[in-house]
Amino acid sequence: MKNKWWIVLSLIVSLGFVSMGAGALAAGGTLVFGSAGDAVRLDPADVTDGESIQRMDNMFEGLVEYETGSTAIRPCLAESWDISPDGLEFTFHLRKGVKFHDGTNFDATAVVFSFQRQYDKDFPYHKYGEWAYWGWMFDYVDRAEMVDPYTVKVYLQEPNASFLTSLAMFTACIVSPYSAALYGADSFKHPVGTGPFKFVEWVKDDHITMEAFEDYWRERAQLDKVIFRVIPDPSARLMALEKGEVDGIEYPDPEQVQKIIDNPKLKLLTQPGMNVGYVAMNMGEDTPGFEEPFGDVRVRRAINHAINKEEIVQYLYQGTAIVAKNPIPPLLFGYNDDIVDYEYNPAKARELLAEAGYANGFKTTLWAMPVSRPYMFDPRKIAEAIQSYLADVGIEAEIYSEDWGTYLQNTEAGKHPMCLLGWTGDNGDPDNFIYVLLDKDAATIGSAGNVAFYRSDELHEVNIKARQSYDFEERVRLYREAQEIIHRDAPWVCLAHSTQMLAFKNEVEGYVLHPTSRKFFYPVWIER
Amino acid sequence: MFSRKKKIEQISKLQVNSYSELNETFHMLWSNKSAMIGLILIVILVIVAIFAPFIAPNDPYQRSLPFRLKPGIWSEGLSTRYPLGTDYMGRGILSRLIYGARDSLTVGFIAVGIAASLGIFLGLLAGYYGGMIDHLIMRFVDIMFAFPSILLAISIMAVLGPGLEKAMIAIGIVYTPQMARVVRGSVLTVRGTVYIEAEKAIGSSDFRIIVLHVLPNVMAPIIVYSTLSIASAILDAAALGFLGLGAQPPRPEWGAMLADSRQYLMSGAWWAVTFPGLAIMITVLALNLLGDGLRDALDPRLRK
Repeated sequence: MKNKWWIVLSLIVSLGFVSMGAGALAAGGTLVFGSAGDAVRLDPADVTDGESIQRMDNMFEGLVEYETGSTAIRPCLAESWDISPDGLEFTFHLRKGVKFHDGTNFDATAVVFSFQRQYDKDFPYHKYGEWAYWGWMFDYVDRAEMVDPYTVKVYLQEPNASFLTSLAMFTACIVSPYSAALYGADSFKHPVGTGPFKFVEWVKDDHITMEAFEDYWRERAQLDKVIFRVIPDPSARLMALEKGEVDGIEYPDPEQVQKIIDNPKLKLLTQPGMNVGYVAMNMGEDTPGFEEPFGDVRVRRAINHAINKEEIVQYLYQGTAIVAKNPIPPLLFGYNDDIVDYEYNPAKARELLAEAGYANGFKTTLWAMPVSRPYMFDPRKIAEAIQSYLADVGIEAEIYSEDWGTYLQNTEAGKHPMCLLGWTGDNGDPDNFIYVLLDKDAATIGSAGNVAFYRSDELHEVNIKARQSYDFEERVRLYREAQEIIHRDAPWVCLAHSTQMLAFKNEVEGYVLHPTSRKFFYPVWIER
Repeated sequence: MFSRKKKIEQISKLQVNSYSELNETFHMLWSNKSAMIGLILIVILVIVAIFAPFIAPNDPYQRSLPFRLKPGIWSEGLSTRYPLGTDYMGRGILSRLIYGARDSLTVGFIAVGIAASLGIFLGLLAGYYGGMIDHLIMRFVDIMFAFPSILLAISIMAVLGPGLEKAMIAIGIVYTPQMARVVRGSVLTVRGTVYIEAEKAIGSSDFRIIVLHVLPNVMAPIIVYSTLSIASAILDAAALGFLGLGAQPPRPEWGAMLADSRQYLMSGAWWAVTFPGLAIMITVLALNLLGDGLRDALDPRLRK
């Protein structure tokens, strides 16, 4: 009896393998993914948060896309492209026979529409969004023009080395002009792209469902359905996975990672993250949150010496991160490993404070995010640790938190003296860290990516040179120099680069982590 | 209070022998075992709170991350240094609970103090004068009642900003309407008594009548109600702390300790959550026992 069962079972399994190989036969199944939060909007060009982005990743595509698991790019909706010798004109030859989920054809009009609505203030669809990312990543793009139905030309105002990799970002995804016109201001609730999955429904703060798109230009996705369920509490999220209510979760609690590893039914996918978590010290004298001490480089260095990052990474990140000494993670090109970090040395910190005239310390406020972020699982606890390290050198810091949306707005407006924040890379280019987070161009009160309001002309010059150069070696050299300048001026305490972690049931196969934390479910199948 | 009360009674000649009444109250309370347990627990807590620096085995703010989330005396190892184990920052839970007693008791007493002062003031005005004033005050109180108490406290905190001091104010405001209502009810019964009539007849001012004659006679329900309110105030402060609105880190307020540690329950550090919870429970229980005992003792209908 028992033997027979084994035969049947092995037959099923081997059949399963055969059908895997055949590909087309392997379809089926629903994958439920437990997310930490709900999407904000479902328009790829009008979102800035990871939760919205990971939903877009499965419904939309851009002219180019990232290769699986890396930030190198390959053709997607554009089959090929030519670059003019001066690096200012990009001509894209589009793929033919691609359909949007609404049945309309993908062509040059859609590309121009998707870009023009973001940069052209007079375009009728411009008013339906904030288009924040375009300002951060594509401000150097002059215009996009249709040459013929399957050729598009994009003109830049100045050369930019990261333009092509940036095109693989969600911001540059192509939306259906037909649906955008149909839904108008509501189109962010009706996402229509060319991606492998098609939007089905969105129940706010509960779930978003999408199903496989039958007319997808590549092979149909293996999964029938993907459901993103919102489970904000990390313990509840893990419990849902253990009970089998969901098939995968994001941001497992570092304290519970061992539990996942020990559970034979679960697997943990990890990868060094392309991110940084930091403490920014507000140097902008014109900002509402500016406090005298942070204008002094000795104070900023003292704070760098006062905080024991090794301890924070070992005990609060539970080893799911590495200590950061530079604002960019080591896996990016141009990382300067020769920089010697400010070592943990409270005595030296006190000395520096005394030199700066704060022998008795001072009072300040440390802002901390209220929510887990991919670069910092538990910001409140880390803030509490930093508070106690600062207390050791005489700095009395009060911890302040407010809800996440307001927190971002107020830090962008410079209302904080010190704040915790972080960044996940979008395109694998150092420019996406050093220019967006530390250049003086990004220190505009109200929309600052540079929340330290660090306005160094020296760094700015290096940044501009680096972003306009197409010479890889030169860019490496320039970014190494940029990190030296930043280290010297110490606008931040670089805390950690955390490991990207996702947990899945064993049956979920084919998922590949992407360094940018984006989540692509196209190649995934469920083993049965 | 009681000498004044005696004066009133001499005038009114209606209630007799307040000293024996006091005796009887104490006797009732003394013979009520659960009330005495409550009283003893509270006295112990107050002593612990006052002498926290001498009792606590270690500094409640001293971080030692390598010793985080270690168990206490029930296991081998660090037990003597940290009898109840350590929290997520490696601070002794026992020491934090001892210091936290200060915060929790202060919150209870001050919040109820605020509520009592406001409530007595409004209740006396409404009950004594009646008419339009009564209407205005009581309708306002009704409006306040329309909000669930914790929601009202959260909205007040949203305006004031987070912090333990602000939590006291918020809870004080939230408890005012109930207090005003209790006071007004008692004032209404006292207002109709003959000794008040007599005071009015000899031409005493309203202020004198209210302060010397009405207030002392409505004190009993206020005392009972305040004692019970302290218990709920401590719970509400813990709730606000739990929501991140009350005490801010690193203050060892019990509700905040509970909230900050709850995520470690799943990874096995039950002590970080259990002991703050027990501390809250014991304190609230003690205050409720005492409050119940006081009510029994002060209610003439329950006397033999």
